[in-house]
Amino acid sequence: MDESEILGKLRKAIISGIPEDATELVHEALEAGVDSKLILNNAVIQGAETVGLKYEEGEFFLGDMLLAADAINNCIDAIKLKLKDATHLTLGKVLIGTPEGDLHSIGKSLVIALLQGQGFEVIDLGVDVPPEKFLEAAKKENVDIIGISGLLTMTISKMTETVVLLKRKGIKAKIILGGGILSEESCRQIGADGWAKDGWEGVKLIKKLMGVS
Amino acid sequence: MPHDWEASRMRTGATLVGSSKVDRVPYFPLACEEMICRISGKTLRELTSSPKAYANAAIMTYEYLKADTVAIPTAYAGPAEALAFAEVNKKEEVTKWFDYKVFMVEQGAVCKTLEDIEKLEIPDHSKVQMWDTCLSAAKLVGEKTKFRPSCALGIWSVVQELRGVEAYRDMRRNPDLLLKLCEKVYESQMDVYNFYNEKIGFSPTIFFTGYAFNKHMMSFEDAMKYEGDFIKRIQKETSARIVLHNCGTTPYFDEVCSEIDLLAINGSHPLDIEYWVDFREKHPNVAIIGANIDVSRELFNGTPLDVENKVKENIMHLAAEGRYMVGPICCLPWGVSMENIMTIPKAIKKWGTYPLNLE
Repeated sequence: MDESEILGKLRKAIISGIPEDATELVHEALEAGVDSKLILNNAVIQGAETVGLKYEEGEFFLGDMLLAADAINNCIDAIKLKLKDATHLTLGKVLIGTPEGDLHSIGKSLVIALLQGQGFEVIDLGVDVPPEKFLEAAKKENVDIIGISGLLTMTISKMTETVVLLKRKGIKAKIILGGGILSEESCRQIGADGWAKDGWEGVKLIKKLMGVS
Repeated sequence: MPHDWEASRMRTGATLVGSSKVDRVPYFPLACEEMICRISGKTLRELTSSPKAYANAAIMTYEYLKADTVAIPTAYAGPAEALAFAEVNKKEEVTKWFDYKVFMVEQGAVCKTLEDIEKLEIPDHSKVQMWDTCLSAAKLVGEKTKFRPSCALGIWSVVQELRGVEAYRDMRRNPDLLLKLCEKVYESQMDVYNFYNEKIGFSPTIFFTGYAFNKHMMSFEDAMKYEGDFIKRIQKETSARIVLHNCGTTPYFDEVCSEIDLLAINGSHPLDIEYWVDFREKHPNVAIIGANIDVSRELFNGTPLDVENKVKENIMHLAAEGRYMVGPICCLPWGVSMENIMTIPKAIKKWGTYPLNLE
């Protein structure tokens, strides 16, 4: 296979959400001497963009997004292994967790998979995270973005408490809240820097807040 | 003045079937464990320590809220069903308890592997203490108020609890196995239904948490495959009428009504009232419970006047011909001011008494 054929197949594997094929193809591309930046730009990023577009147009759903994100993550891991310095592949650092009292992890898992697929480093605090733990991790990790993903109306208070604590303690990272239980307006009132109704919107918002195109 | 449950029963029943003999728009709040703890001052462990304690606290809460419905919220296809599966499959450690809200099971922990799905045991709810307590409490509520809480079922809500995010990967990679899990959940839900009937009596309506019916989660085709077809089977087996609940932001309410015979829908999105007006025109025989009253908006951040205006807007657009109940979505959370919460029944009385006068 020539370069464009491999990259085309890799794009297709990402869009179709076949992580095993994506891994194989990215290795094949690297072994064939294809530049890692070219693999990223002409296959991985283009594939990710197509997936996002299909989600926005209602053609793709959560399952498609997750598998595409798995495929992208495999590609990035494979490329990183080949590079001595992979720091340029990291767009930023995101800290994420669900608020205290909320054990629902589906939304968070999706955002993590998508963010990693877009080149972000993600620190996952898990579920049921108390405000103090968010603060402690934010101080330690020097992150760009803090994301709190919630499903339950009953955890709005805890999300508010977390945002207030982080802001009061001078954390400079942008704080975004995720989940349909909130709105742009309620996020503003709570003092957060943004709101995303779902995982894909979350990724777009983070990129916007960080000035990443 | 004591709460007139007989009047509430007549009001909600007549509204659901579209009778003109309704004195005012009913109030259908979702007061979950958190609100019952808040009003009764008891922890969840205290509430669930006996059917009597839970029943009394639930009645007290719904009466305090001036509601026209009453429920034992734990008895639905959510954490309690995940707990039942966790118990029977010897994974009790994945359940986490809280003082003033419902316990939760770590999503995806019960069916972590494909083998877990294959070997998943179905709970016998009569042997699960939590279910026995909750349905005994529901029975007591029915005896004390003559208002029997509906049987509450669901498929996808349970699948998500058991399998977590992997369920969405399975949808593409292991659809047959996912369907097998849905089948097992269905079997378990029928066990809940039969246990309910045995303990309390026939439930003419089923409150169904249809979480699959959400546009940003799956296609409508998949929603029908993994939940809708099971609803049809439940309808066929039970002859009960379905009230479909979905508290997501992009529900398939309109689409689902073309496929499944529903008594009512319960949701708060989309927030555009015109969607609901349009829905009413397209599905005049399906009652609407809720419409665009979302707890995270006016209730959380607004003033009592904002809340009143929202209730008025909904009544004005949807209640003229009946088949409408005010119902904020989703559960009333701890952080909402009681003043805002108590504005709802006041606003219903003011604007929702028939004949409506909304000038």
